[in-house]
Amino acid sequence: MKTNYLTGLSIVLLTSAMSQIAWAHDPIFGVGPHVLFKDGFEVATEVESDKAGDAKEQALALEVTYGLTGDWAIGVDLPYVFKEEGNNSSNGNGDAGVFTKYRFWRKDSLGLQETAAVLLKGITNTAADNKSPALDKGTTDAILGLTYGYEGRKWYRWASARYRFNGTNDAGIDRGDKILLDFVGGIRPNPTGYKEVDIVWLLELNGEYGQRAELGGAELSNTGGTEWFVSPGIFWTKRNFAIKAGVQLPIYHNLNGNQQDSDYRAKMVFEWHL
Amino acid sequence: MKKQIIVFVFGMLLLSPAFAAGTHYEMRVDGLACPYCAYGIEKKLKAIEGTDKINVDLNKGLVKVNLAEGKTLTDEQMTKLFNDSGFTYRGMKKTPLDK
Repeated sequence: MKTNYLTGLSIVLLTSAMSQIAWAHDPIFGVGPHVLFKDGFEVATEVESDKAGDAKEQALALEVTYGLTGDWAIGVDLPYVFKEEGNNSSNGNGDAGVFTKYRFWRKDSLGLQETAAVLLKGITNTAADNKSPALDKGTTDAILGLTYGYEGRKWYRWASARYRFNGTNDAGIDRGDKILLDFVGGIRPNPTGYKEVDIVWLLELNGEYGQRAELGGAELSNTGGTEWFVSPGIFWTKRNFAIKAGVQLPIYHNLNGNQQDSDYRAKMVFEWHL
Repeated sequence: MKKQIIVFVFGMLLLSPAFAAGTHYEMRVDGLACPYCAYGIEKKLKAIEGTDKINVDLNKGLVKVNLAEGKTLTDEQMTKLFNDSGFTYRGMKKTPLDK
């Protein structure tokens, strides 16, 4: 029972930032309202590296998205995770995710697009189990989000809010839900033409608030809390190929009890539209 | 004989634009902000038989394409194509290619 409890708690502490969806010209760490053209495919490989104290996590993910209509897309992501805690390390399949995004509002004008979308993601419980450190969280989670985007020839801005419904894991721990907020600005210094290399610089402000986890109705002290990050990033695109990269740097921590603050999170995405 | 061949070849060269006749279309499209996002338009236009030389002028909101003789693009077709690509079609201008 004690082993189960400790395993369960370590899974709670695994904040699983590795659940982000890459979408075309959307923020690197936040989300935006971009979808995909009808019958189009987006194939992306994503590398992410997180560090918090002596806990390190790297993930390599394959994401495939399909455009059902010009405003509605669905997809899957399949991560492979490498995890390190102190002297222990493990690796294996992470939790596969399925997601959808629907752009319910679009206002187009010359060289400008303003849009809003809702998104839903299910994070399955398919990660490799019996690993130490644990790779699985022992439950299925869901993320519901709302996002707005302004995309001009020179300036970009986005805002989004997401609510993550975290389930109760095998050890009986109710992992506590999470709220994620993102405010992002971007600039294209040189508005280039079609088929030319295009570069957009981004600056994101990402906030995360996690509720305390509970076991048998009692709150667990070393769980939950708030963190804010400032995250510079870049889009590099040429026709139907994109490279996106960014790093999250913590600017504020208020984690409950004795938890390791995030040191950084870095991400790089290679993406094709087919 | 040599002179006749030269006259024939020269005549064929003069006539060649007529064989390549078709229509140049310029579509006014709103929402075009980034080149990466416009790829869906190129892909969908390429799927239409007879299209060639597709280009996008993001600053002017123009999508340009040549279409082979005997083929036409309609407003209804373009409204759907651009909507499926995630943009708003406003109208088109047609110019014969052999003029």
